[in-house]
Amino acid sequence: MASTVHSSNAAPGTGRGARWLPAAVFLGLVVVAFFMLVPLFWLLSSSLKQISEIFTNPPIWIPRTLQWGNFAELFVNRGFGTIAWNSLLLSSVFTAAALLLCGLGGFAFAKYHFRGKNVLFMFVLASLMIPHEATMIPLFVIYKQLHLIDNIWGVILPDLANAFGIFFMRQYCASLPDEMMEAARIDGCSEFKLFRKIILPNLKSAFAALGIILFVKQWNNFLWPVIILRSKENMTLAVALKALEDSNNTPYHLIMAGSVISVVPLLIIVLVFQKQLISGLTEGSVKG
Amino acid sequence: MRASSWKWQLKFAPYLYISPYFLLFLVFSLYPAFYSVYISFTDWNGSKAKAFIGLENYAALFADSRFWLSLWNSVVIFLLYVPLMLFLALVLASLLNANWMVGKGFFRMALFVPNFVSVVAVSFVFVLIFNTQDGLLNNVLRNIGWIGQPIPWLESPWYARISVALMVLYRWLGYNMLLMLTGLQSIPKDLYEAAYVDGASKVKSFFLITVPLVKRIALFCTVLSTIGTFSLFTEPFILTKGGPLSSTLTPVLMLYSESFEGFHFGYGSAIAVCFFILMMSISFIQMRLFDDKH
Repeated sequence: MASTVHSSNAAPGTGRGARWLPAAVFLGLVVVAFFMLVPLFWLLSSSLKQISEIFTNPPIWIPRTLQWGNFAELFVNRGFGTIAWNSLLLSSVFTAAALLLCGLGGFAFAKYHFRGKNVLFMFVLASLMIPHEATMIPLFVIYKQLHLIDNIWGVILPDLANAFGIFFMRQYCASLPDEMMEAARIDGCSEFKLFRKIILPNLKSAFAALGIILFVKQWNNFLWPVIILRSKENMTLAVALKALEDSNNTPYHLIMAGSVISVVPLLIIVLVFQKQLISGLTEGSVKG
Repeated sequence: MRASSWKWQLKFAPYLYISPYFLLFLVFSLYPAFYSVYISFTDWNGSKAKAFIGLENYAALFADSRFWLSLWNSVVIFLLYVPLMLFLALVLASLLNANWMVGKGFFRMALFVPNFVSVVAVSFVFVLIFNTQDGLLNNVLRNIGWIGQPIPWLESPWYARISVALMVLYRWLGYNMLLMLTGLQSIPKDLYEAAYVDGASKVKSFFLITVPLVKRIALFCTVLSTIGTFSLFTEPFILTKGGPLSSTLTPVLMLYSESFEGFHFGYGSAIAVCFFILMMSISFIQMRLFDDKH
């Protein structure tokens, strides 16, 4: 263990027989990566199979004829166009609104002095302790009265009060120099303009990182949406996949095709924004 | 006029900026939290009038073997994957931190991909993989001759728990590896150099510099995994529906089925309150563990 941790300082190969070590380690990593990617390959492969090809021995890794019809079936007959659009709309609207609120909140806590600031911030941190699962029943009852059941706003609103996001943006806002804002104020900049002209452009990467985390989380959100989104016209992809299962004969080929639809946009986002995502996910956890 | 408007703005802007958060939090989180406690003292199905029954729901819950089983299942699943996950995460992070390793970017992404793809999608793939009759895993194991009879991955209590644990391991290994990797990378190189100049051996500086930091991150990962395991829902919901014989029932899954399948809102709320207290205790321990060090 010691040698591997320290290998950032010293290349291996100092001892006898250590020359094969890098190759062995590399091979080990290939094996781990293989196990990580096989389920995703199986997902893609099964999405292009006939249902009879999914459970076979020996397994069919690459379907003989690619069944693009699975995807057509979802979009033409099962309303997946609307459903995918719902997911996109819900996640985008949520992300945009949450970024604005977290940005403003984090900015206020980082750069203003006001009465009760510390108490209020402690309150924000303490609010992290209330798990959403513990409030589902009363929310469901309240939603009945507010007509928010089967409504995408019902998914968005509770998550918008995002303590993690405020905490996240506060740390980044604190890194901006005060002089920048003082100068703008002397030039007659209003307070909100300050946020728009200084915070937004200077913290683009922080907003990007938080935005991706929020978007991915909301896109994959399942427990609360499956409780309140009932009709096909309002479902998100995650809920619709589960709803496919509930039909008489579970159409696994369609579920896999739907899964691909729900996975591909995220893969693209994450591959494009790798750096921001990784810096965002580890922010605060290690620095402590 | 201008000066006073400026002062006014400066004074009220921060309150304006934080008010949406507090408003939403009060309406959609704090009020429901208290309401949840109230509902837990009643017998209610969501539509008829609430009947106040005091602590009866709690008495029933504490006498309910399924509730204790759901907690026990969480502990078992935790033990099945967390030690293995932390060990693998540390080994992988150390390897990916090495200068001489090639293809780091690829390996990091390959490990990390399962964490952000839809948990529902991944759960359904594992339904196919773990299927007893001609699932991918059983077929591969049979074809290479490791097993004779198919393994009932999702149909026997212990295998079902192992299956859920394997899937959670699959989804979270990369994330924990990433946390450890970031930790290892955050150690300044000159710290080791300084130790070297001071005459510390490699082994000594490993135990004095690397180990304490890794310990801290491992502790952090453990706390997160504890919260995550007790909150498990989607994986057992789709893989096993909590079965067989409730062997993969978790507190949140029980909360869901009592409340939104059985419409026992009072009983469900009692579960919710207990779950809340459990989560709060874990967060509290977390704060105590990480506060004094900094």
